[in-house]
Amino acid sequence: MTGWHAPDDLVTRYADDALPEPDAWSLEKHLEECGSCATRVSQAVRETAAGAVLADVRTAVLAAAPARRVSNARLWSPRVFLPSSRPRLARVLWAAGPAVRGPWPAAVLLVALGAVALAHAGGFDGTRPLLLAVAPVVPLAGVALSYGAHADPLHEIVTATPSGGLRLVLTRTAAVLAVSLPLLTLAGLLLPASGAPGAAAWLLPGLALTSASLALGSYVGCRTATAVIAGGWLCAVPARALAGHGGHPTARLAEQLSRCLDGAPAQGAWAAAATLCVALLVARRATFDHGEQR
Amino acid sequence: MGGHREKDTDAALLRAVADGDSTAMAALYDRHAGWLHMRLARRCGDVEAVREILQDTFVTVWRSAAAHRGEEVGGWLWTIAARRLVDARRAQERTARIETSPMDAIRVEHESSVAAPSTEERVLAGLEFGEVGTALDRISPELRDVLRATVVDGLTTRETARLLGIPEGTVKSRAMRARAELRSALAHLSPTPLGGPA
Repeated sequence: MTGWHAPDDLVTRYADDALPEPDAWSLEKHLEECGSCATRVSQAVRETAAGAVLADVRTAVLAAAPARRVSNARLWSPRVFLPSSRPRLARVLWAAGPAVRGPWPAAVLLVALGAVALAHAGGFDGTRPLLLAVAPVVPLAGVALSYGAHADPLHEIVTATPSGGLRLVLTRTAAVLAVSLPLLTLAGLLLPASGAPGAAAWLLPGLALTSASLALGSYVGCRTATAVIAGGWLCAVPARALAGHGGHPTARLAEQLSRCLDGAPAQGAWAAAATLCVALLVARRATFDHGEQR
Repeated sequence: MGGHREKDTDAALLRAVADGDSTAMAALYDRHAGWLHMRLARRCGDVEAVREILQDTFVTVWRSAAAHRGEEVGGWLWTIAARRLVDARRAQERTARIETSPMDAIRVEHESSVAAPSTEERVLAGLEFGEVGTALDRISPELRDVLRATVVDGLTTRETARLLGIPEGTVKSRAMRARAELRSALAHLSPTPLGGPA
């Protein structure tokens, strides 16, 4: 702000690159601060051979404005809009496994509602033993649908990720249990007792069977293991009761269930079995990291 | 008087550019691109590189116009351009280093072609100007390059080292020597009347 401005002669010679260093330096410093001299020098440079280059760059710079904004918008929009277009709950449900987002929860709901409807609308009083006999198998079906090449189209890719393997199996099993345990227990509470054990009596057996199928799954794969365990339960408890002699089938079923589920020794045995299976599962955890055995 | 109005207009232009106004960018470009080009060309012999640096500078302005904080717009633009110049030189060196030994000859040739025209010609033209000019022309081109980069262009020691392709320690020692030589040259000159047999 000295009021000094570069004489025309200096401006022309600078534009022609004919100024010695010291004068060029002082003019360059002045141009940093003086807009009117900058305009004059730029005008003079445009009239030299550099004019063509300057015009080219001008076009490119002006073209860069809208293009840059569009490309920025395109670059950022997926990151900005991803969370809102796929809400957290949806992503959690998706990660929680194929069982929870497939027809399985509908089947669980159907079992629960069907039992309640049968007891209250149909007047059938043997529903609680029936529900208790079927309930331990329901989470097993969920586990079978959760993990393995047949259940998850992305199975190979999922296995290769750091969170694949046992961690994912357990996460999906937890999702299955979180849906089935409260639903079936609540349904059991709404049913008349009719000689069967309490509505919560199946919880420990259910846990034991689930952990047993996971432990067995480390040898033969989830689908086979759940089929074996569920088949074993169905043969040992309901089928044997229904095939027995004497009395009403539902009464025999209730009696059989009481033997298996009621009382501290039975529940203690189920708890011990569940603990054993979990221990075996922990010991065999590495097998889940290499994908399914079969 | 005119200077004040120009400066205000510059800042206003930058604000408009920050909002994506192409007309404002065109006005800003017309006012500053010419001298920036000249200033870059005096420091870099590679025509294509100068063109790229200039374009980069103004493309950067689109992005960072909003970050401008009150300083002189001309000085601000030069800061951006000077950083680009240093970066471009570093990138050139890196590619030169990656290429195998036959290319080293080209690199040396290239570097000397950058340095040569900006020194030789100016030594010849130096005599007819004032005392500082004469003194500056007496010191060696190497010292003058360091002075120009640090004092005039406002680069740091590290940036100067990258721009000139010399170690940082050398930049420091050359800057000190340049100052000492300037001082003695000026002391030597001042008793002598201008145009005398210096």
